[in-house]
Amino acid sequence: MWLIRDSIFIGLLQASPLILAAMGFTLIYYLNGFINFAYGESITYGAYFAALFSGAFGLGFYLSIVPAAILAGLLSVGTYLYIFRPALLRGVKPSEMIILSVGLSFMLRYGLVLFVGAENEYLSEPPIAYFNFLGVGATNLQIIALLLVLVFAFNLYWIIYRTEFGEIIRGLANNEELAMASGINPHKVSVKVWFIAGVAGGLSGIFSGVFALVNPLMGWNVILITIMVTIVAGVGSVRGALLASVVAGIITASITLISKPLYAEVVLLTAFILVLWYRGRKVV
Amino acid sequence: MSYLIFSMSLLLIYIGLAQLLHIQFGMLGIANFGVVGFWGFGMYGVGVLRVQYDFSFVDALVVTGVLMAGASYVLGRLILRLENQAVLCATIAFSSIVALLTVTEKWLTFGVVGLGTISYPIKIGWATEALYFIFLIVLVVALQFYILKLHKSRLGRLMLAIRDNEELAASLGKDTVRTKLVLFTITCSLMGVLGGLSAPLNQFLTPNMLVPGVTFAVWISLVLGGKEHPLGATIGVFVTFGFFDILIETYAPVSPGLAVMVPNLKLFLYGALLVGVLMFRPSGFLARETKGLFPDKEARP
Repeated sequence: MWLIRDSIFIGLLQASPLILAAMGFTLIYYLNGFINFAYGESITYGAYFAALFSGAFGLGFYLSIVPAAILAGLLSVGTYLYIFRPALLRGVKPSEMIILSVGLSFMLRYGLVLFVGAENEYLSEPPIAYFNFLGVGATNLQIIALLLVLVFAFNLYWIIYRTEFGEIIRGLANNEELAMASGINPHKVSVKVWFIAGVAGGLSGIFSGVFALVNPLMGWNVILITIMVTIVAGVGSVRGALLASVVAGIITASITLISKPLYAEVVLLTAFILVLWYRGRKVV
Repeated sequence: MSYLIFSMSLLLIYIGLAQLLHIQFGMLGIANFGVVGFWGFGMYGVGVLRVQYDFSFVDALVVTGVLMAGASYVLGRLILRLENQAVLCATIAFSSIVALLTVTEKWLTFGVVGLGTISYPIKIGWATEALYFIFLIVLVVALQFYILKLHKSRLGRLMLAIRDNEELAASLGKDTVRTKLVLFTITCSLMGVLGGLSAPLNQFLTPNMLVPGVTFAVWISLVLGGKEHPLGATIGVFVTFGFFDILIETYAPVSPGLAVMVPNLKLFLYGALLVGVLMFRPSGFLARETKGLFPDKEARP
């Protein structure tokens, strides 16, 4: 009984960075139709920008979230404008787009290592206060992260399912020709989507950096789980990404509580391969 | 001198891996992004059997190859019907699982402490490493000749047909899924064997050898050299591994303080190179056509 309660609680708290990352990732995948490994670098750079603003510029943790997230969004737009869009215009195939994104990801990651070094950084944390819920402890930061994720998730959900912009995104993803014929500029929409996705990735990095460490490999370490969650949830489904991240968080937490954290990853990755197989079997 | 032989032997292992990836991706269109998983499985397989169970080298290599074939067959059964993006993700997931298990299963692998020492199959004093090196050359040259022959064979043409239009090939009565499964099993098993052959080179195995950088190095070599050209893999490895890992890391006059940054610089340049090649010359150096230079006006983002 305690196991279920603790798993759900810890899982929810720890899933919040994953929820943000998966929701951002799914938008790009949905709109442009390829898996963007370089999205992991939005996560890493978000955390480093936050470290820069809160540490070097002395803005404090909460104030540094805003510029860091915006810069992460701009980085994401930059990769779209200067790398991915030209590549798409040249007619590079989806499987090659993935390889391109892996190349860009290595370039950005090791460019960062050359610049700041490979050592771990710590985000200067705001004062920590502990709260107690039903016998399970949580810090104020974890609760703020969860609340922020909820706000962001709700907004994104609203944008995608309730506004005209969301309809445009869905229109473009489903039938580009038709959307363009009705006067939609796919380029402008893509820039906005890549910005929103980059901001979500940056926030994800900032919050996972606060709970643990900031290092150049952090984005790469979570990108596979992010891709996994997105594909299992159904590409383009912001709802599904939210739900699947929470489930992944709870599974991770429960396996971590009874065994080693690394086994949780093994179980999730194996489950991922099986889900892919099951989906494929239904289609064929 | 012995360091040069070590580097050149690793270079040969990489050429072998890139050639096998050429068969998988360049000829069949299977995007295997988990090369490090198959290589690492083989390396640890031979390491564990040699150190923990006292197998002879040849026995260890054969058992590992068979185990790898079994694992690849199961994986292939699960994923080879799927579209390329899913195959890519599933193979990365497989390689991550292998890397994680080398850390957790301490009773087999000694975890992060490391597994060693894995000795060479034969010991003839100073000539041991040189003989092993010559053996690897023979192996890689044989594989290269096989690939050149494969391109001209019926099977080779069937493979290209599967890559370019699997439905069409299937509609002409070819069992495409079976062909892919058999070839995937064999090539993955050989990747495992190449891993097993790298075990005595490295002698001491740790989980941090199984990093995505290995997969990446093989892929960049293949894409750079030309993924569809029979010689692309070999030439690509000479350009990347030969240039960066052997020429620069061994001979460039770098101060010790900067030397720690060289691997990072290498991966940065690999990334930049890969982006550049895919954007400006997607078929690689040895390509016949240069479609990347003439953008397709029809395609839109």
